[in-house]
Amino acid sequence: MEPPIVYYPRSEYIETDTGNKVSRKSVICGSQNIILGGKTIIQTDCVIRGDLRRTGGGHAVVVAIGRYCLLAKGSIIRPPYKTYKGTFSYYPMKIGDHVSIGEGSIVEAATIGSFVHIGKNCVIGRFAIIKDCCKIEDNTVIPPNTVKKDVLKFYANSSLSFLYLGVFVDELPECVQDLYELKTKDFYIKFQPKDS
Amino acid sequence: MNSLQTETRHIRPYVHYHCGCPDVNNPTTSIESEKEEETFNIYSPGIHFSTFPISKLYFCDDCHQIRCPRCVQEEIVCYYCPNCLFEVPTASVKSERNRCARNCFQCPICQNTLSVVASSEPQPTPLPISPTMPTVSATGAPYYLSCGVCRWDSQEIGMTFEKATGLALQLQKTEDERPDVKEFDHLKDQFEKHLRHNTPSTTLPSSLLSIPGMSMNSFSSRYGNTGLAHAQQKSDDVEKYEAAVDKVEPESGLVDDLVHLTDVNQITTLTQRMNQLSDQPYKVERLQPQRIHLRTKRVKRCRSCRHILIKPEQKAQATRFKIKLVALKNIPKITIASLPKLILNQRTQIVLKFSNPLYEEISVDLTIQEETNECGKVTILAPHFNITPYNEVLEYEEDLISSRRAAKADIGIYEKRGNSTSIILEITPLAEVEEFKFPLLVKYTSKNTENNENDGVTTEEKSSEETNSSKAVASDEISADESNEITKSLSFWTVIGLGNVIKAPAGTSGTTVKGPRTEPSGSKGSSSRGSSSGNRSGTSNSKS
Repeated sequence: MEPPIVYYPRSEYIETDTGNKVSRKSVICGSQNIILGGKTIIQTDCVIRGDLRRTGGGHAVVVAIGRYCLLAKGSIIRPPYKTYKGTFSYYPMKIGDHVSIGEGSIVEAATIGSFVHIGKNCVIGRFAIIKDCCKIEDNTVIPPNTVKKDVLKFYANSSLSFLYLGVFVDELPECVQDLYELKTKDFYIKFQPKDS
Repeated sequence: MNSLQTETRHIRPYVHYHCGCPDVNNPTTSIESEKEEETFNIYSPGIHFSTFPISKLYFCDDCHQIRCPRCVQEEIVCYYCPNCLFEVPTASVKSERNRCARNCFQCPICQNTLSVVASSEPQPTPLPISPTMPTVSATGAPYYLSCGVCRWDSQEIGMTFEKATGLALQLQKTEDERPDVKEFDHLKDQFEKHLRHNTPSTTLPSSLLSIPGMSMNSFSSRYGNTGLAHAQQKSDDVEKYEAAVDKVEPESGLVDDLVHLTDVNQITTLTQRMNQLSDQPYKVERLQPQRIHLRTKRVKRCRSCRHILIKPEQKAQATRFKIKLVALKNIPKITIASLPKLILNQRTQIVLKFSNPLYEEISVDLTIQEETNECGKVTILAPHFNITPYNEVLEYEEDLISSRRAAKADIGIYEKRGNSTSIILEITPLAEVEEFKFPLLVKYTSKNTENNENDGVTTEEKSSEETNSSKAVASDEISADESNEITKSLSFWTVIGLGNVIKAPAGTSGTTVKGPRTEPSGSKGSSSRGSSSGNRSGTSNSKS
C-alpha cells in the first residue's frame, strides 16, 4: 500500500537549512545539546530532553539523531540514567539513520542503530541497545539493559500479566535495509506543507 | 488511503508475487504444474505457500528467475550469541549444546536476559539494579543472576557463583549431572561406537556435519546408504542397550499439590515449561535459568544453479551482505497507490504503481487471466506501458509532487514520475466477498541500450547472455536484435488482494479516481457498467 501525502500546516513546522522539520508544538529541551542529522521530522507533541546531560561541566552532545528519521506524534526521547559509583548521571543517546519511532513511544535506549522501525506505544528501556535493521512491533516493551541484534522483529507477547515484553519473533528479510530506506525517504518527501 | 479505512478492513490490501519453484516441485508432476502455471488458480489452497511479498523474494541473476524462500538452499556460515554477539567457532557449537557458553542467561520466569549482580557490593559497574533489590542473604558466594524485568534472582533457587565470569562453565557440572543429559550422552556413545566400526566413511558437506548433538556421518550411513545390504544387516544387530539412568520418577506428591492448588501463579506457564525441556517442571521454584540459544548467519543459494544469492558478512555485528540478490532490486515493484472502497456491482478505479529498480528502461505487459472471475470483473486500461530507468540523482529531487503531471497523454496511465508508472485498473465486484483478489500476469522486457556505445563489449556480453538463455526456462527470453540491443524479459504471476467488498448503501453511485492523488471518496462517477466507455473518456478528460 502506497502511503498518502501527509500535509501539515506551514506555520506549525520550522524547517532548518539541512531539511529538518520540527514542530513548534513539540517540547525540545536543551536544544544546544541535540544534533539532528538532516531531513528528520519531529512531529507534534514530541519531547526530546537534551537538557538531561552528564553531570560535570563542559558542552556535551546528549541526543544525536541521524538522517531521515521520524519521531511520530507524542514520542518521547529521554537519555538514559544510572547511578555509577554513587553519583547519579545521565548518559548520551545515539540514534542512527532511517529510524522511525511510532506514536506515543518512549525511548530511553543507549543506542539505536540505523534502519530501525519502532512501532506505536513502545517503551525502549534504559540503556537498551538496538542494533541495525530491527523492527519492534507496536506495544512492545524492551526491558532495560537488553541488547537486540539486527534483523529481528519483536512483537508484543503477554508473558507477564501487564507487561508486553520484547520477544524475538522472526528474522526480517535481507532487503529490510532498502525497504526502510525507501520508506523513510518516501515519508519525508510526502510530508508537505499546506497553507491553511 | 487514510488510516481509518485501513483499520476497518480485516484483510490488508497486498500484492504478492508467485514463484513457480521449478526445483521444489516434483518432476513427475511437472506437466500438471505447468498446466497449473498457465491458468494459475488463486483459489487453490496452496497459494499461500507459493506467493510472497516482494521483500521475501530473491532473484537469481544466472537463471534470470525469481527465487522464493522455498527454492533456496541455506548453509550456515557462522554461529553467534544474540546477546553478547560472540561468534562461536563451529567446532565448539556441538560441545556447548547450541547455547551461549559465556555469561548470557535467560530468565526462567519472563525469558528476558539476566544480568550478573554482586551481592556484597551495593551495585556492580555495568549493571544498574533497582533500589528495591532484596538485601543479600548470607550464602557466601558473591555473585548471582538477576532479572531486570520481573525481579527474579537466582538466589531464590540457591544458585550463586564464585566468579562473575564464565558462569556457564561453573554451571557445567550440574548440567552434566542431569539425567536427560546423561542418558543422551550414553545413547550417543552406544550408537557412535557401533556405527563407527561397521560403516564406510561417507563424505558430507562440512556444514551438515556441524549439526550439534548428532553425528551426521553415522546418521547418513545408517539411513542413507540403504543400497549396501551388507552394512544394513550389520547395523541391525546392535547390542542390547541398557539405560544409564533409572527411570526418572515424577515429583512425588505433584498430583496432590496440583489438586490443592489455589493460585495459578504457583505453577509454571506453558512457555516456562517449554523453555526447560529437560524436566518441564510444574513448580516455579524448580525453574532454572537457561543459557541463551545461539543464532546463525546463513548463505542462500539458488537450487538450480547453486549460485549464491545471499552472502552475509562473517562478523556477528555486521549487517551488510557481500552478495545480496533480492527481488526488490531486480524486478518491478508493484504497489497499490489508491484504493477506494469496493462496493458491490459498482465500477471502481484503483491505481497500481509500478517502480523500476533497474538502470534500463523496461516495458511492461499486463495480462489478466479472464476478465471475470469469482470476485468480479477486472479491466486494465493500459496493458502496455514503459517505465523509465532508475536514476540515483532523481532520488534527491524533492519537488516530485509538483512535477507529477508530466505525462498524461495515454489513456489509463495515472501518472509517470521518476522511475515509476502508475496505471488505472477498473474493478467491478460482482460478489460480496471477504477479500477481493485477482491474478495478474506481469511480463517485463528490459532493453540494454548502453551496449551500443561499445561493440566489443556487446558481442562478448551477448554471447554470455546467449549461453545463459539456453539454460534458462521457457518464460525467459534473451535476444539480441540488429541494433545490438540486448533485451531480457521475464514474466511472473502476481496476486493482488484488495480487501473486502461491501454492499452499496442506498442512493450512492460508484467512485472513480479523478485527478492524481485526489481522495477517492469525493468524486462520483456513473455507476452502470453499460456506460463504461463514456466514463473512461471522461476520466481521461478530467486529468488533462
